[in-house]
Amino acid sequence: MAEARAESLAVNDWAGGVHPYRVGHRKLGMWLFIMSDTLTFAALLVVYSYARASSVAWPKPFPFSPSIIFSTTMTLVLLSSSLTMVFAVAASKKGKRGTARKWIFATMVLGLTFVVLHMMEWNHLIGEGLRPFELPAEWLEPHAWPGASPLFGSTFFGITGLHMFHVLTGVIYLGVVAARIKKLNDDVEVAGLYWHFVDLVWMFVFPLIYLLSVDYHGVIKP
Amino acid sequence: MVESKTREIKALNLALLALAGLSLAVAVWDVASDTFRAGTDDVFLVLVCLMLALLFAIPPMMWAYSNGMLKNPFADEAGDEGGAAVQTEAAHETHGGSNRENIIVWGGLLALTAIEVFLAYIQIPTTLMLIILMGASIIKAALIVAYFMHLKFERLSLILTIVPTIVALLCLFAVLFPDSFRARNLRPAEAVQQVEHE
Repeated sequence: MAEARAESLAVNDWAGGVHPYRVGHRKLGMWLFIMSDTLTFAALLVVYSYARASSVAWPKPFPFSPSIIFSTTMTLVLLSSSLTMVFAVAASKKGKRGTARKWIFATMVLGLTFVVLHMMEWNHLIGEGLRPFELPAEWLEPHAWPGASPLFGSTFFGITGLHMFHVLTGVIYLGVVAARIKKLNDDVEVAGLYWHFVDLVWMFVFPLIYLLSVDYHGVIKP
Repeated sequence: MVESKTREIKALNLALLALAGLSLAVAVWDVASDTFRAGTDDVFLVLVCLMLALLFAIPPMMWAYSNGMLKNPFADEAGDEGGAAVQTEAAHETHGGSNRENIIVWGGLLALTAIEVFLAYIQIPTTLMLIILMGASIIKAALIVAYFMHLKFERLSLILTIVPTIVALLCLFAVLFPDSFRARNLRPAEAVQQVEHE
């Protein structure tokens, strides 16, 4: 028992030692980046909630069909890309580099699908007349949301735009990792952390921006 | 040498425990005092004190736990992590997120998303909707972090470095939110009425 105690002191969770976290420097660095990025998105989402709750009126321009169904599809695509990334990490841990590379490509395809779908949606809203600091004229008519805050546009484009930028960066990052998969081995896992984080952020953006802005009164004509 | 080190650790842990108690006392004092109004300031102060108390209490509790003075109430196996770190490490390496487990987690995430979209379809009051959505999102985030990002299978010291920090900072962000209602009430009454009559 005494020896076991002495040994456990060295590997004890609080003993520190040479490897206090027992992770590589890349992984630790990625976790620190993820923590800071969490705060970036949290700040944006709190600002969005603040702007929305302090405004007298806020547009709810997403009819269930097609807007919510469309963004739900985007969510499914992003969630599935997380699963393919998990498979890529599992394969690379077993040393199956070819399989890992295939799963990374699948993840990249799903990520690009998400970006394309998102672009289509942006295009649709811009076509309706939504701008970062300006709402479409019809949205301000008496039957719609008179007096609504133009901050809708800036928060919508700001938050979803920054998220889309993260997805796009992630696709490039995964491409580099896939190309260099023979040289580096824990890179797949670290890239996986980043990819899951981007997925995680969408799990807050989707309900807060889309599901709480459903147009139940048929204001927006499809 | 070893003797003095043990005494030093004991003294440091006692000091941390005292700080945790002090933070807790400030929180209790704020709630019990006459000036307590349950407004943003009080929520802020109480939350900060409680989180400080928790952060100060973690090292002494971990120390007591690794010395066998405290049992882990969440331990599901006979061999706990403090005593058999090497053994559990090996176990984690093998069952650290099998593909089957990950597919189940993915299914859970899909199911939660489906519930959220269903609630958006049937239209429920906005406040209730917000609470349910945030609850579901936090569960989803926890699932992603624990299983997909493997945090569940990392060393406890890494988990305790990342999770409490993020939770504390997010709570501090959220503390600002109730101020938005005050900002709304500061607007001219006519402007609000004109919009709300519809």
